[in-house]
Amino acid sequence: MHQLGLMIDMNKCIGCKTCVVACRNHHGIVDHENCMPGEIPFYIRVESLTEGTYPLVSEHCWVVPCQHCKNAQCIKACASEAIVKDPQTGIVRIDADKCAGSRACIEACPYDVIQFDAVRNKAHKCDLCHDRVVAGEIPVCAEVCMTDAITFGEVEMLRQTALDRGREIDRKKSAMSIVYLKPTLKNTLAGV
Amino acid sequence: MVQDGWHPTVCYQCKAECAILAKVQDGRVTEVKGNPKYGGKACVKGMAGVTLQYAKDRLTKPLKRVGERGEGRFEEISWNEAFDIIEEKLRSLYDRGEGHKLTYSFFPHSLTDPKWHFLNAYGGYINTGLPHCDSGKIVSEIKCWGGIPNHHIPPAWFTMPKDGIILLVGRHAFGCLDDACVPRDIMEAMDRGAKLIVVDPIFSPDAAKADWWIPIRPSGDTALFLGMIHHIIENDLYDKKFVEEWVREGDFDKVKAYVKDMTPEAMSAICDVPADDIRRLAVMCAEAPAVGVDGFKSIMLGQALDFGHAWSIFLAITGNLDNPGGQPIPELTPLSPVEPQPPGPPPLNEMGFHRTGPNRDAFRNYSFILEPTWYEAQAIKDGSLKILLVTEANPALTEMGNKEWQKAVCMKDANGEYMLEFLLNTDIMLSETAKYADLVLPDQTHFERYELLYMPWWYNFGHGVLLRQPLVKAPGEAMHSNLVFIEIGRRMFPEYFQFKDDVEYYDIQLRGLGLSVEKLKAMGGKWSPGTMGFRKYRDGGFGTPSGKVHLYWEDLEEVGQQLPRAILAPEYDADVEEYPFIMISYRRIHINGTGPWSSNNAQLRDPASGQSTNPAILNPAAAAKLGIGDGDTVTIKSRTGELRMPVRLTEHIRPDCVGIMHGFGATVGRVAAGAGHCDNELIPDAGSHLEWQDLIGGEAHVSTRVRITR
Repeated sequence: MHQLGLMIDMNKCIGCKTCVVACRNHHGIVDHENCMPGEIPFYIRVESLTEGTYPLVSEHCWVVPCQHCKNAQCIKACASEAIVKDPQTGIVRIDADKCAGSRACIEACPYDVIQFDAVRNKAHKCDLCHDRVVAGEIPVCAEVCMTDAITFGEVEMLRQTALDRGREIDRKKSAMSIVYLKPTLKNTLAGV
Repeated sequence: MVQDGWHPTVCYQCKAECAILAKVQDGRVTEVKGNPKYGGKACVKGMAGVTLQYAKDRLTKPLKRVGERGEGRFEEISWNEAFDIIEEKLRSLYDRGEGHKLTYSFFPHSLTDPKWHFLNAYGGYINTGLPHCDSGKIVSEIKCWGGIPNHHIPPAWFTMPKDGIILLVGRHAFGCLDDACVPRDIMEAMDRGAKLIVVDPIFSPDAAKADWWIPIRPSGDTALFLGMIHHIIENDLYDKKFVEEWVREGDFDKVKAYVKDMTPEAMSAICDVPADDIRRLAVMCAEAPAVGVDGFKSIMLGQALDFGHAWSIFLAITGNLDNPGGQPIPELTPLSPVEPQPPGPPPLNEMGFHRTGPNRDAFRNYSFILEPTWYEAQAIKDGSLKILLVTEANPALTEMGNKEWQKAVCMKDANGEYMLEFLLNTDIMLSETAKYADLVLPDQTHFERYELLYMPWWYNFGHGVLLRQPLVKAPGEAMHSNLVFIEIGRRMFPEYFQFKDDVEYYDIQLRGLGLSVEKLKAMGGKWSPGTMGFRKYRDGGFGTPSGKVHLYWEDLEEVGQQLPRAILAPEYDADVEEYPFIMISYRRIHINGTGPWSSNNAQLRDPASGQSTNPAILNPAAAAKLGIGDGDTVTIKSRTGELRMPVRLTEHIRPDCVGIMHGFGATVGRVAAGAGHCDNELIPDAGSHLEWQDLIGGEAHVSTRVRITR
């Protein structure tokens, strides 16, 4: 099986959103002259979860790009057959030329990661930086991540690396091609 | 201007000034990333610099005020007219022999700054254009071990040994205001076995990764450190070798006697950290191979110097000076002076605006090296500040008691003339300060200008120089403020301005390194010896009169600050009954300050990639007692200000505090205007609350007590 993906280390993600901006810049999806907050498309987002009550609180963050699903709902939903799972890489890609702008993929996506360009009438999303990957580079988010929380590679190797490092994979989050490493316990010295 | 591709330059989205690569395509900057040769990381602000570069709000022509200050009405003028106005105003004050009544607010991010050269020729003073943030630390370190003034110098976390301790005390290190490499370096140190301990009333992103979050009472840091110092000394856990060899004779005994009664129990009552935890942290630090301490908000309070002093004593008795993982000590890069050298202004402690008004006596022990920005409003009222030049700073919003600043710059004398005779603002966009300026000049971004950045300390490599270089054309007639003041300098002081432009000025300075701008460019834009040097004091001692570390400050005996006082910040001691909450100003990585560079940037204000607004954060337990629910709009009132704003309930804060994120409340800017609320409106003007100020060298400017009602 050919499947590239990312591994997100929830021990390291600090929720800084640097990857979001770098991704936008690289893919040219931000109109620097005219953009306004809340209206700029994004291919990757940051989520977080806080647990506990003061003073024993914990918080961890992670990023959510396209999960490059095995049986992608977006592919099934697209009547124009504009979305394909690239057999060489496992990357789910939208062919802009074929996209008819039905937005069916956006409705179908369980991860809410597909954007819509109303001007061009096209859906668009993370393609795991296909252009860079086939040229031997890593995706922009992995390159710029401030804490090296994002690792790029073959999904099977990413899972093996997680085990080699003694880290637990968050199975619920890691159902598709993005592997999430569970955070280890923090604040262990408090109240000892 | 340059060929397509990646080019090395230096970011200026914040004062860290990280080495970056910028991608240029068809004459436009399209991407930014960290320069892998020098650390390799850039943060979200740096990336969003592309959006700033092409923002519609960029200024393109010089603007002259029409109407009154504050109205923000301008007409476009030519550069020639702008230069003539500046020259006339500056000559007028200078010819009256009052050059010292001019102050220039800009961030001195380089000792090579041509604006500073101009100021030295003119005889005016510099302040930083923003509160001095860590002056309490700088003054304290200079008094304790000498050294060279430099803005914030954190430990180089990448030098932290296994089992070392990273102690962040009121410091959001992941905010990257030291360098974008800091979060990675801290994480890697933790991977090696170092412990991260965060002392902060707010559960910051740093605290979320920490091995130990200690939610201290705001400003309790001095007491915490004194309690640790007590425990370390009383239990013989201090670094005896370092103390014997390197602490001035007698000082350690004075500290020992002074802290005798500062038991963990006694200090716990002040700082609200359990006594057992103070002891445990003290032992951990004493036994660790290295401890690096960083603090920021903790030294922005009215007893800033006390904390700086306690912090310095702690580092000295644990032997954590200039060692891997500990506190670095900067050194100078041997650049050539630009001859002839201008004389500089008269001594700050004689003619500085803080020393010439009615509060002269109160400042008799003030020892910071720059004018206190927070005293500007008072100085205008006193008539001791007549011309204010402001570059890339926004005192109208940034200053505590900013309304007082706005009032002061609009005050008129009996003849109907503004008491502040001239207010010049140069920036890339209009700001709140511009609204009050007589002249607004369109400045250039870091992608458009040359700048030789020369610091005694860079996070990644110690001392050295970095070259910022123009990669793309500036819009319209935008001109770098350095070039503006070279031109004014040539007109007014030709004897000191015998160079044609900034590049020639930098070439002269680079001769000391056998370099030129062109050569530096060919090298990739950086010169550094490549070693930060450890324990440099072994080669000739510390930079104090005795060559040893001075823990005891005899010059401050008369004010009772010869050793750090175990007190809370005076601004927290006042009005406790009437204002039961402590308002904490905090920031996150998306915010540099209140200037347009980060606040008027759509990507940094976008909810997916930045901070869109700043509701007050309140602990749910505290909110329940007040009958306040999540999302409610409340009134937050201080002694001098009031805000009506929404609250967000979170477990991330002590129940006796309310947090307001800094950097909001702008009224100018396509993106910035109208978003959130300005914390500074609650903070009393420092000049009119001198009793809350640290008048030795620190400052109280980030916090105050407040009352919250529905």
